[in-house]
Amino acid sequence: MKKTSPIALLGVLAMALTMTACGGDGDGTSTSGASSTEATTEAPPTDTATAEETSDVPEETEPAEEPIVLSMSGWSLETTPEFQVLADAFHAANPNVTVELREYDPNDYETLMLADMSSGSATDIITIKQAKFTTQWAEGGQLMDISDIVSGLPANVSGAGSYTVSGVNYGVPYRQDSWVLFYNKDLFDQAGVATPDGTWTWDKYAEVAKELASKLDGVKGTYEHSWQSTLQGFAQAQTPGADLAGGQDYSYLKPYYERVLDLQDSGAQETYANITTNSLTYQANFGKQSAAMMAMGSWYVATLISQQASGDADTFNWGIAPVPQYDESTTGTDKVPVTFGDPTGLAINANIDPAKLDAAKAFLQFAASEEAGVALAGIGILSSVASDAVTEAYFAQSGIPTDDLSKFAIGTHETKPENPQSPYIAAIQSALGEAHTAIMSESSSIDDAIAMATETIQAELG
Amino acid sequence: MSTTALPEGAPAPASQVPKAPSQRKRRSKLRLRNTLMGWSFIAPNFVGFAVITLVPIIALFYYSCTKWGALGDAQWLGLDNFEKLFTRDPRFKTALWNTLYYTALHMPLTLAASLGLAVLLNRKLRGVAFFRTAAFFPYITSIVAIAIVWNLLLSPDYGPVNQILRFLGVDNPPGWTVSATWAMPAIILVGTWREMGYYMLLFLAGLQTIPPELYEAAKLDGAGAVKRFWHVTMPCLRPTTFFVTVMLTIGSMKVFDLVFVMTAGGPGRSTMVISQLIWQQAFVEGDYGYASAIAVVLFFLCLLFTIIQFMVNRRSNK
Repeated sequence: MKKTSPIALLGVLAMALTMTACGGDGDGTSTSGASSTEATTEAPPTDTATAEETSDVPEETEPAEEPIVLSMSGWSLETTPEFQVLADAFHAANPNVTVELREYDPNDYETLMLADMSSGSATDIITIKQAKFTTQWAEGGQLMDISDIVSGLPANVSGAGSYTVSGVNYGVPYRQDSWVLFYNKDLFDQAGVATPDGTWTWDKYAEVAKELASKLDGVKGTYEHSWQSTLQGFAQAQTPGADLAGGQDYSYLKPYYERVLDLQDSGAQETYANITTNSLTYQANFGKQSAAMMAMGSWYVATLISQQASGDADTFNWGIAPVPQYDESTTGTDKVPVTFGDPTGLAINANIDPAKLDAAKAFLQFAASEEAGVALAGIGILSSVASDAVTEAYFAQSGIPTDDLSKFAIGTHETKPENPQSPYIAAIQSALGEAHTAIMSESSSIDDAIAMATETIQAELG
Repeated sequence: MSTTALPEGAPAPASQVPKAPSQRKRRSKLRLRNTLMGWSFIAPNFVGFAVITLVPIIALFYYSCTKWGALGDAQWLGLDNFEKLFTRDPRFKTALWNTLYYTALHMPLTLAASLGLAVLLNRKLRGVAFFRTAAFFPYITSIVAIAIVWNLLLSPDYGPVNQILRFLGVDNPPGWTVSATWAMPAIILVGTWREMGYYMLLFLAGLQTIPPELYEAAKLDGAGAVKRFWHVTMPCLRPTTFFVTVMLTIGSMKVFDLVFVMTAGGPGRSTMVISQLIWQQAFVEGDYGYASAIAVVLFFLCLLFTIIQFMVNRRSNK
C-alpha cells in the first residue's frame, strides 16, 4: 500500500480533474423549469400548406443574376415552419437567392450557436431566439451593425429596440408575440359571470377568479404558470417607473405577488408547488378546462387551435382579451393596453462573405415586411408588422375566435420588452428568478426575497 | 547499477572491458523498449485524456483570471474574479455552504446504505440476484425520469409520501422540493437512493475477497455476528471503503444533474450548489471567466478533501 500510494494519489488527482471539468456540462439540458422565452418561440405544429404553395410559384425568367445561397439558423424545423415560410416567400420574390436552413436543438440553441460562432462556422443569417443574448453576441463581434436597415423599417414594425446595444442596431424582428388573457366562454357562462370586456385591472381579475372558483365545481378561476415572467413581466411592463435594468428598486413586484399569493391561498388558482412538483402544463390546464382563464403569450392561440382540432384539448368556446392592467389609465377599448413580450429576430453574421451581404440585407428587410407578415399569419405566427392585412390574415385561421375583443387584444397593445438590452440582464433575471421561486413556494416572505435579489444584483453590477 | 559515468573515449577499467558496453547497450535498449511499450499501452487513453480533459483544464486556470464571454479575446483581470467570489458574491457563499451540506449528509448516508445493502445481499439467499439488480436499478435509470417521479412522490399536497405521513399522524408534513428547509434533505435522499446500488456493487466485490477462513476462525473464537462484522469484515474492506469514500466525496462535491433536474437550485437558492453556479454563470449569464474561477475553487476543494483522506488513510495504515 505504502509503495503505491503516490501513484494512487496521482490517479485520484487525475480523476478529480476529470470530474471537476465535467461538473459544468452534465446532462442538464433537459431542464424542468422551462423559461417563458423558450416557449415564446416554440411555434405550434400547423399545416405547412402555405409554405408549399408559395414555393410552387414559378420562377421568373431573369437569368442575369448569379445564384446566391444564404444559410440561416433555425430550430425544430419540423414543428416550427416559420423559417421555411420566410425562406420560400423570399425565394419566390428573388429567384436567384436561396435561403438554406440549418437546424439546431431548441433547448441548447444559444450554446450551440456560440460554439459555431467561436469556430467561425455560424450561418450567414443568425436567428435571435432570445433577445437577451444580443449583447453577448454583439460584443463578441459576431453580429453586423445593421442600423441602416433598421432605421429604414416602416413605423408599423415593432420590437427592433430589443436588438439595440449601445445605440447600434443588430437585429430585425420578424415575429412579435405579446401576452394576452385567454378565457373559456363556456365556463364563464356556466358560472354566470360576465366575460372580460377589456376594462379589467388586476384587482378585478383576482375578484373574478375567486368568483369563478366559488361557482364552478372542481375548476380553478385562473391558471398562472410557474415561469417568473407570468408575474414579473407584467409588473415590469405596467408599473410606472419600474426599472428592471437599474438594479436599485424591485419593490414594484410586491403588489403583484401579494395578489397572486392571495389567489393561490384562496384556491382560486393552482399552487406553484403543485405545478412544479406534478409537472403541470399550461396547455393541459386551460385546454382541458381545469381553469377558466389564463394569461399567456399569443403563441398559444395557434397551439390551442391545433390541439382542439386534434383532440388534445377539449372543444369549448374561448376568447382573447387584453391582459389586466396596472390601473384604469390604460383600460377600455379606447385606450392602448400595456403588455410585454420579446420579439424573434434575424441578424447578419459579421463575417459574412461580402458577395452575399446585399442579399442578406434584402432578406432581413423582407422578413419585416407586410408580405412576410401575411405569409406568417397564414401559419398562425404573429408578425412584428402591425397592419390590417396581417390581422385579417391572422383571423382567417379556422378555429380562431373572431369577436371584436379578441381582434382588439391581438391588434392593439403596447408591448414592452421583457428583457431590455443590458450586459447584466441575464444576471438580473436569474436573481429575480430565484426570488420568484422563493416567494411562490412561500418559503420566503416577499420582502426578504426581493431584498436578497437586490443584494445579488447590486453585487453583479459592482 | 554502475555509478561512474566515463567520458567517451576514456580507457575503461580493465575488469569491465569485455562485458560492459554490450551489456549496457542491451539493457538500455530493453529499457527503451519497455518504456515505449508502456507508453503505447497508455497512449490511447492518455491522448484522449490530454486533448479532451487536460488541455481544457489548463485553459480553465488561464480563463479563471480573465473576463471572457466565449467569443473574442479574453481580457486579463488577474485575481479580480477570485476577489469577487470570496468577498462580494452572496451566491457563492450559499452555493459553497449547500455543497458542503450535501456532501456532509450524502457521503456518510450513501456509504452506510451501500455497505448495509452489500452485507445483506452477500449471503446465499433465494432470489439474491433479483435483489442485487433491483438495488442497482436506480443507478442506470434516466436522471430526468428520476426527477419527475420523485417530484411527484414528494409533491406536498397529493404526493404519496406526504399522504402516508398524514396517515401516520403527521399533521404538517414537509413541503419537500418546494420548501426551502426540506428541499436539500429531499435531494440528499434521492441522491442516496440513486447511488447506493453502484457503491453496493463495489462493496460486494470487496466482500467476496474476504477469505471465509477468517470468519470460521472468528466463529471458533466465539465472536458474534456484530463482532465478526467489526473485526473481520470492516478491516478486510478497508481498501474498498477508502476508494468508495474518496469517490463519494468527489461525487458529492460536484453534484449537478440531480439538483438541476429536481429543483434547479430552488426554491430561492436553497439548493444551489457550486456546479450549478458554474453552469449558470457560464451558460446563462455568459460570464465564462467568472465561471472558470468558481470551477478552480471547486477543483481545489476536491483536491483538498482527497489529500486529507489519503493522509488519514496512510496514518491508519501505519
